[in-house]
Amino acid sequence: MRRYAVPIAVGLVLGGLVHLTTVLALPRLALEDAFARVERLGPANQVHLIPAPTPFESVLPQLDPSFAHAACRYDLSQTPLRITIPLAPDYMSVSFYTRHGLPYYALNDRAASQRVIDLLLMTPQQRAALPQDEEITAADRLIVESPAEEGIVLVRAFVRERGVLEAVTARLKEAKCVPLV
Amino acid sequence: MRVIVILIALLVGSATGLGLTWLASARSNGFGAVQVGAWTAWPRSGTSDADPYARAVFARSGQLPIERADGLVFEATATDNGSAIDGRCETRIAGRLPPARLWTLTAYDTRGRLIDNSAERYGFNSTEIVWNHDGTFEITAAPRARSGNWLPTGDRDRIVLLLRLYDAPLGLASRSDQPLEMPSITQVNCP
Repeated sequence: MRRYAVPIAVGLVLGGLVHLTTVLALPRLALEDAFARVERLGPANQVHLIPAPTPFESVLPQLDPSFAHAACRYDLSQTPLRITIPLAPDYMSVSFYTRHGLPYYALNDRAASQRVIDLLLMTPQQRAALPQDEEITAADRLIVESPAEEGIVLVRAFVRERGVLEAVTARLKEAKCVPLV
Repeated sequence: MRVIVILIALLVGSATGLGLTWLASARSNGFGAVQVGAWTAWPRSGTSDADPYARAVFARSGQLPIERADGLVFEATATDNGSAIDGRCETRIAGRLPPARLWTLTAYDTRGRLIDNSAERYGFNSTEIVWNHDGTFEITAAPRARSGNWLPTGDRDRIVLLLRLYDAPLGLASRSDQPLEMPSITQVNCP
């Protein structure tokens, strides 16, 4: 028995290393992550409605059935994006996620002065390259900095009761996520 | 002989390593859990400060977690006295909630799917629920229809409850913060 003690001890240490490496690597290795799921909805830099979750099918796991959702998978490699979301009368929020599904920013309808959320999404480099006196900055539009070129914008809109679902969905359909030219 | 020794080390290593990773990414949402009664929240996992375990869980499950500024999610898999929430029993979720602009309570199976039922009732939100006169509420999760706020459980043996508080100015950071008031979960009439 003694002769196995050393290999087992070495194995356990090795196991710790394997564990740490795989945990750190999982966000990069996961095939069915949120980005891949949203990718199936359609092309980048467009808002896509996410079908309401059912017991048998859900684009993303653990979506709140009391909400309607829309997502925009973005790619900032060409230009920054302008995101406009007309607000429904009830609670709405927009959240920003990295390529690996980590949220880095969110705001809700209370943060919007008008009945629309209107903002610019860009990388820190693109922001640094913005001319100081240009119209964009003068428009006093909110600027969200994405840590990388790719990521996901998710809009959540509260559906108080089934009767208002259609109206809320109609607002979501008007949401836009378009390259700034 | 040496080959066997090396093989044992490699086998033990990969088994424990991968096993631990699998367990960690299936059962928890990372560090920094806040426990209130039967409910657990991971406030830090909804921020860009999320630890590697939380990141691994999100990547593996494919979910987009609620950002902390948007809301806070509490999960319950067991009742107040620690027994697993069994969909074949009558489970009473009753009490008050911390202040929030709105909240939703949803029942899932252990794989994160909604529970099929003919009423298409997957949960309650704060605007549609029937409140008691004193500002408390009571939801009964049970397999068969009943009066009041009935949440169908479809006879599943394990139920996961997610309580989402949206736009909730909760102070969870410091110990001096007011203790949160969360609903109690009790279970009766188990088969």
